[in-house]
Amino acid sequence: MAKVGVYVCHCGSNIGGVVDVEAVRKHAENLPDVVVSRQNLFMCSDPGQAMIRQDINDGIIDKVVVAACTPRTHEPIFRKVLEGEGLNKYLFEMANIRDQDSWVHANDKEGATLKAKQIVDSAVAKARNLRPLEDKYVDVTQAALVIGGGVAGIFSALELANMGNKVYLVEKEPSIGGVMAQLDKTFPTNDCSACILTPVMVDAGTHPNIELLTYSEIEAVEGYIGNFDVKIRKKQAYVDWEKCTGCGACADACPVRTPNDYNAGLDNRGAAYVHFPQAVPKKAVVDITSCINCGGRKIGSETRMSKKTGKPILAPCERACPAGAIDRTRAVDPYGDIIDVKVGAIVVATGFKVMDKEIFKNLASDSPNVLTALQLERLISATGPTGGQFLRPSDMKKPHTISFLSCIGSRDERHHTYCSRVCCMYMIKQAKLLKEKYPDLEIYMHFMDVRTPGKDFDEYYTGALDMGINIIRGRVGGIDKLPGDKLRVMAFDADLATNIEIDSDLVVMATAIELQDDIKPFAQKLSLTLDGSGFFKELHPKLKPVETAVEGIFLAGCCQGPKDIPDTVAQAKGAAAAAAVPLAQGRVKINPTISEIDSEKCSGCGICEPLCPYGAIAMITTDPSHPRARIEMTQCKGCGVCTTACPSSAIGLHGYTEDQIMAQIFALTA
Amino acid sequence: MAALNLSKMDKHEIIAKVIEHGGKGITKCIQCNACASVCPVAKAGFPLYGRLLFRKLQTGHFEEIIEDPSSWACQACNRCTEICPRDAKPFEIVFAFRRIQAGELAISTSAFTPLMNLHATGHAVYSEASKELRQKVGLPPAPVTSVENAKAQEEIRTLLDNSPMSELGIF
Repeated sequence: MAKVGVYVCHCGSNIGGVVDVEAVRKHAENLPDVVVSRQNLFMCSDPGQAMIRQDINDGIIDKVVVAACTPRTHEPIFRKVLEGEGLNKYLFEMANIRDQDSWVHANDKEGATLKAKQIVDSAVAKARNLRPLEDKYVDVTQAALVIGGGVAGIFSALELANMGNKVYLVEKEPSIGGVMAQLDKTFPTNDCSACILTPVMVDAGTHPNIELLTYSEIEAVEGYIGNFDVKIRKKQAYVDWEKCTGCGACADACPVRTPNDYNAGLDNRGAAYVHFPQAVPKKAVVDITSCINCGGRKIGSETRMSKKTGKPILAPCERACPAGAIDRTRAVDPYGDIIDVKVGAIVVATGFKVMDKEIFKNLASDSPNVLTALQLERLISATGPTGGQFLRPSDMKKPHTISFLSCIGSRDERHHTYCSRVCCMYMIKQAKLLKEKYPDLEIYMHFMDVRTPGKDFDEYYTGALDMGINIIRGRVGGIDKLPGDKLRVMAFDADLATNIEIDSDLVVMATAIELQDDIKPFAQKLSLTLDGSGFFKELHPKLKPVETAVEGIFLAGCCQGPKDIPDTVAQAKGAAAAAAVPLAQGRVKINPTISEIDSEKCSGCGICEPLCPYGAIAMITTDPSHPRARIEMTQCKGCGVCTTACPSSAIGLHGYTEDQIMAQIFALTA
Repeated sequence: MAALNLSKMDKHEIIAKVIEHGGKGITKCIQCNACASVCPVAKAGFPLYGRLLFRKLQTGHFEEIIEDPSSWACQACNRCTEICPRDAKPFEIVFAFRRIQAGELAISTSAFTPLMNLHATGHAVYSEASKELRQKVGLPPAPVTSVENAKAQEEIRTLLDNSPMSELGIF
């Protein structure tokens, strides 16, 4: 016979202010198998826990029911109490009389007290039937995968590598660096982005524990925490990277002109190109979708000899390469190579993109002199299309009047309702850099409000005021194109309470931060979910900011939400620390409250297999005449779907067995 | 009403003028209007005070506001300066604007009487009625100032007559 102890919590006034706790305690005393029933203001406090400890120690009880708050936060605390006193921690049941009772029935004290009694009835009925369970463990692969080679991915990879873990750093572009590598300077210190990023890129590129997989994408992720099987596709570069020195001769020789993403589309690059001057690794690729196969040199075609010279006819890129790294005769798989890796943890750091300007037609987005802020960043960068000279695209003349427009696509029900968080600051940075260099520039900045939450940020903003940069409160509604390439910005000055117009030579729009268009299929590959704003969803907005609903997969950087570089680096290091936990422990615990199949009862019908949302069930056909379902314990999450579907009642869910649940139902319906 | 074309306003000229006349903080204003929350000019119902005045100046307004009497209602209580989170010293800006207005002979009629009083008695605001009140609380009927001191009054008049104010032609 079970000896059940019941402990009723007041939770301060959360429960005690509504439920008659003493009445519930007294009621529990008379339930079958209950040997002791007590109450405390806070059961989770030291004295509360001590009551349970004492009763176990005294041998009075062997099953514990705590009627209090939610098991989500407090079950681990009480299980630890049982464990500490040598009692199996699964001989514990929690009755939630707060979230499911006192909070919802605050206006019906009597009803709430009655309901609390019933919830306790049910918990005690289950507790009487509880059986001990044992935690199980599986070994962990001592390696990590970091997806995305921007500043977030680089720092996550470096942290994990410095802790002694093998790290695979996967980046879809030919070089790591991400958006930060496109920036000119960084706020609020105005340090040169490349100057502070390049050394860490080199660190990542040369770290003995980091395997850089650039120009690569994730094909598939299988498995679970501690043991993920990842398929990575190394895209076909059509350049032998073993030989390529990154000299860029092929890029110079290539006659193709296609928009250069690195310069945010402000200029063109060849089909053969090196990502950017400080690229890591510095290797060329041939972008085959824009390659025109000069001289009929299709990949894998035989080399023809020139009748005139008797020499082989080569494409310009082949001819230019001094290292012999481009050989178009060689037939290579356009799909690239698949690399299989096993890792114990994954950090997702896939970054963001800024919204394109095109859809903002009311803001003359078709004018070459209307730029996104990222384009301006390239325009003023020494490695940009003008070599750092501040010239506007339409006529390559230095602008005299510039307008900055904030919240383009952000804080806007038609696009994104969220604040992109960094635009105020980077626009102020751009304005200050320009004003410093060209004091005669007229700069107008339009803000709904200036948001500067960060160390030294507001001082940075007020410094802009002192420099004579015009800050205007009110959003811009339209831009008219005037003759002579002028842009008339139509805005409102809330402080003057009047419509205003500004005739500008150049307009810069802070378009919203959002995730890439192809992020959904990528998220599906990792079973990750996106939040309402379209960013990757963290497990808890405050307490589990880098964890995800998939154990062993962590988030870093803007893929989780817009953030600046300091926050990104902090989160990247946080994600690395969290990802290092299972790797350091060497094994991961498998929760024993999962389903198990009784092979004797299983008829092999296979109904359960497709129902499992986690793909944990497989049909074992070693004896083809008698197939049997089997559950992979590392993948089962204990949802119970298979248990209810099995026509032979062959599947049991530990911790929620049929007798336990029936006892609860009887208690509630008695 | 046509929209105001900000790029065509003489912002730099006006801001420079305000600074030259003592309103150094004009570029610091962030339009929070804390100054107006405690300003007697606002409480007395005048239209152009606090951030609106500063914004007009920042954006190069001149003709539209030069005749406005609000600034002459400033009591120089200095509360705005104590409260300003940007240390823009709003009171100094208001007085700078007053000086500019005076230079344009745009002095509010409400300012004439106090100025004439100042010329005559050395007090901008002085009431005969205060004599009785002073005696009630045990003070001498007249304050120990220029009021009863012909020599001091003469000195003040000399100062005023030799100051730019004499050019206003009100004394």
